[in-house]
Amino acid sequence: MQESGGESLQSRGMIPPLAAAAHELKSPLSLIRQLSLELENTRLTPEQQRLIERVSLTSERALRLTTDLTKSARLEDAMFAVEPLNPEQICQDIVHELTPLFAAHGRTLSVAQRRHPLLLVANRDLLRRILLNFSDNALHYTEPGTVVHLQIKALQKGSIVRIGVRDFGPALSADMWRGLQQKLAHAPQAIHARPQSSGLGLYLASQFASAMNGTIGMTRHRDGATFYVDLHASRQLSWL
Amino acid sequence: MNGRVLLVEDDMWRAELELERLRRAGFEVVHAAHAQSAITKIDDAKPDAIIADVLLSGATVMALLHELQSYPDTKDIPVVVYTDVSDSLSLDNLKPYGVQRIVDKTTMGADALVVALRGVLA
Repeated sequence: MQESGGESLQSRGMIPPLAAAAHELKSPLSLIRQLSLELENTRLTPEQQRLIERVSLTSERALRLTTDLTKSARLEDAMFAVEPLNPEQICQDIVHELTPLFAAHGRTLSVAQRRHPLLLVANRDLLRRILLNFSDNALHYTEPGTVVHLQIKALQKGSIVRIGVRDFGPALSADMWRGLQQKLAHAPQAIHARPQSSGLGLYLASQFASAMNGTIGMTRHRDGATFYVDLHASRQLSWL
Repeated sequence: MNGRVLLVEDDMWRAELELERLRRAGFEVVHAAHAQSAITKIDDAKPDAIIADVLLSGATVMALLHELQSYPDTKDIPVVVYTDVSDSLSLDNLKPYGVQRIVDKTTMGADALVVALRGVLA
């Protein structure tokens, strides 16, 4: 970003090249999205409508990634306020936001509702970005016609809240996951979370979780995987 | 006519799109491609409100905001900032410069600027 003094942060070496590239991509991507939104409001054949909706949804996915990248670059410099949050409400918001994208791919996203609500301590925006990331990952590795579930559970006698995104796609090998966990601690690089994936989204999710004193992880299933984030539970309710 | 608006946007295709949307909504719109051009045009345009991108060719929107605050006849013009870097900005910090709304360019709907304008002109 350029400051009022005229010297850009990039020229002072304050924005990593990857984040700078992401920032430069935002402008053309947002223009593509706006042009397609404009077209959606014109008279189109059903086929044209379907295609232009895909342009909008795809540009939104790309914008989410570029915003994640620029935010990740600022994690060390910025303070991210944490607060007690209801994870179920955030999951419902994610479902609302991603339902058009999932529907366009013939898939469904849902929240497994809990009888007793939990509270966790997190930054709303960072948690949202982690779950958007996991959901986007699940979208591309789950079988058409299946439902991706957002699941919330309490662990370690209620001190940790886990939010998981369960997909139904090809399973990860144990070797592949061990390699991913080792690489998560380092700078962005080729992380092969799954075939055809760079793993960049998971790297960013890991950075965001660390900024909230949380961790991400994965459970393998015979028919897919659950990617999860563990965060500290809020003790706010126990004070009452 | 809903009001006169000065749109400051350096991407010509984006400017063309937003100009068309604002005109469809009944606003009279003048376009400036950068901060210096906006400063030059403001006396003739006499806008009721200004919509401005932040990262412009040349000086940023801050140059325009400082200039607006320098004159009694422009310091009260409401400004809507729309930008790709909205998460780096704070409305509280920009309010002293006349900014009343920040719109996120990356997530905004097609009618977001019209809605913001109606809000600041109400």
